[in-house]
Amino acid sequence: MTAPAPEATPARVIRMANVAKTYGRNGANVAALRGIDLAIREGEFVAIMGRSGSGKSTLLHIIGLIDTEYEGSYWLDGRLVSGRTAEELATLRNRTIGFVFQTFLLLPQMTILENAELPALYARDRSPQECRAIARARLEEMGLGHRLDHKPGELSIGQRQRAAIARALVNRPRVLLADEPTGALDSRTADEILDIFARLHRDGATIVMVTHDPDVAAAAERIIHVRDGQTSDGLV
Amino acid sequence: MARRATDWFRLLLRFAFAGLAGRRGRSGLTILGMAIGTASVVGVVSIGLLGREYVVSLIEGVGSNLVFTYAHSRSVDPEWIDFDDVGAFRRIPGVRDLAPVLIDSQVMSVRGQAQPVDVLGTTPAYARVRNMVLVAGRFVTDQEESSGEKVAVLSQDLAQLLAGTTGVGGWIRLYDLRFRVVGVYKEGVESAAAVQKSEAAGVTAIVPLSTLRSLSQRRAVDVVYMQARTPDAVAGVVRGVTEVLRTRHRDVNNFEVQSLDQYLVLARKVSDTLTLVLIAIAAISLLVGGIGIMNIMLITVTERTRDIGIRLALGAHRRDILMQFLLEAGILSFAGGVVGIAIGAGVPLYLGAIYHVEVPVSSLSVLIAFLVSVAVGVFFGLYPARRAAAMNIVDALGYE
Repeated sequence: MTAPAPEATPARVIRMANVAKTYGRNGANVAALRGIDLAIREGEFVAIMGRSGSGKSTLLHIIGLIDTEYEGSYWLDGRLVSGRTAEELATLRNRTIGFVFQTFLLLPQMTILENAELPALYARDRSPQECRAIARARLEEMGLGHRLDHKPGELSIGQRQRAAIARALVNRPRVLLADEPTGALDSRTADEILDIFARLHRDGATIVMVTHDPDVAAAAERIIHVRDGQTSDGLV
Repeated sequence: MARRATDWFRLLLRFAFAGLAGRRGRSGLTILGMAIGTASVVGVVSIGLLGREYVVSLIEGVGSNLVFTYAHSRSVDPEWIDFDDVGAFRRIPGVRDLAPVLIDSQVMSVRGQAQPVDVLGTTPAYARVRNMVLVAGRFVTDQEESSGEKVAVLSQDLAQLLAGTTGVGGWIRLYDLRFRVVGVYKEGVESAAAVQKSEAAGVTAIVPLSTLRSLSQRRAVDVVYMQARTPDAVAGVVRGVTEVLRTRHRDVNNFEVQSLDQYLVLARKVSDTLTLVLIAIAAISLLVGGIGIMNIMLITVTERTRDIGIRLALGAHRRDILMQFLLEAGILSFAGGVVGIAIGAGVPLYLGAIYHVEVPVSSLSVLIAFLVSVAVGVFFGLYPARRAAAMNIVDALGYE
């Protein structure tokens, strides 16, 4: 089941070899990624930087197991994940990956507590009461203990992004993936979110953040540049 | 593991209800569409059963477990059923009661007018075998039969003609003799029309068989009615009567032996076929309801594309999404089934209570209509649910 990764050490949470992706069929093919080699160690705070259309988001989707149509090899947490079934990937995504999106992507009709417990509920290994307790704890850590029963629409955008971070952390994922997490925020709120990432990083979290903004990328300890679907500094 | 499975189911049920709660009006209308389909099926079965019961009661009203025999008069040298034949019928196992009937006609004078009257000579068993209902007085007794007394029981039609001149306790004149009127009867149901004209219908007087026999000097009877002990014994009695007639009349095939079974079988077959046709028509509305569910679920899945994408990104399995939407469709059709049964069974029962009619509601049809409507919902929910589950996550999240 687990193929050994070349140069794989336990410290490398993410390892990619020659990953390529092409969009479109019937002739008009656009290469989004061309032979990406990537390694991210446990506990790293990495920013993937590139211009719009550089392929950085596609790379994040592949890392996050929501885009599975690509060529090349990808090891997540030491396990080869390219070519696995949708069911296996759903379980891995649920337990290993935490997503933070630019537009938060909270379910608007649910309270943030209900939103935050979703990954725990879909994991199906805890009772609904336990799931709720964990979700509450994460939201409290994000300073939202007094807003549990509010729907996203009733919160400030900063609170919404913090709720989304709480949701991403509910299952204690191996990697926190953030796609332009400050893209929809004003600079003061953006700093607030980056502070949270810095704090999580200090506590040992592995964070991969996609951004086009050099100021945001500066918050990370390492920057990987993606240009025209290629990167020269993906390996450590 | 079983507990985890029920937990899982409960969780998805919760998501499904939450999804439906977000669009109450639309869900209500979809349920209504499904309810109309289910109600039509249940209602149509009730109507079919009601019609069937009515026709069957008309036929059975002629007499329960009835077997009757008569001779055709069309042959050149006809044989008749004589009194020895009747004695032989009596010994056939399975015959509970037997009533030979002599039919004669007389002209009575009613208020100076000549009035033709059918005179039936029969035994007291006739009233039981043919389900006669006494309107007034009593029927002919065994004692009057054995001593050949001149008593008469009038049909309701005749009693009405004679009203004012004579009645129960009075006298009528037949064969130039005075007959004492002891009762007035009517037929249990106006049923014979369902089979053929009844000899007891119309302007008729019933007198003891022995009385008419001596007055008319007849040696043969016109028709013999027999009541079998049980419905199962009917066929045996028919065979027995046929056998008696064949042996005693040297295989002359001049007789008709009938039971109501053939009419009952025919009537049931006709009404069952009719009911099936009606169910097929009602099933179309069930189908339309199912398409309504599919339509609404397709819209829902499209509207909730991002919702589905988020759930998948958070680690929901495709089967979680499939089940959630299948459950939503199932809840709609389940609710439609419940409402439909309430309407389809409630309205007939309510109308029955108002008009004092026993309305049959088949619990089997209720069960089947319910199961079919749920199955229809799940079937039509399958396609939208599969579409939801097969969604491309990146596209669903709203990326280009």
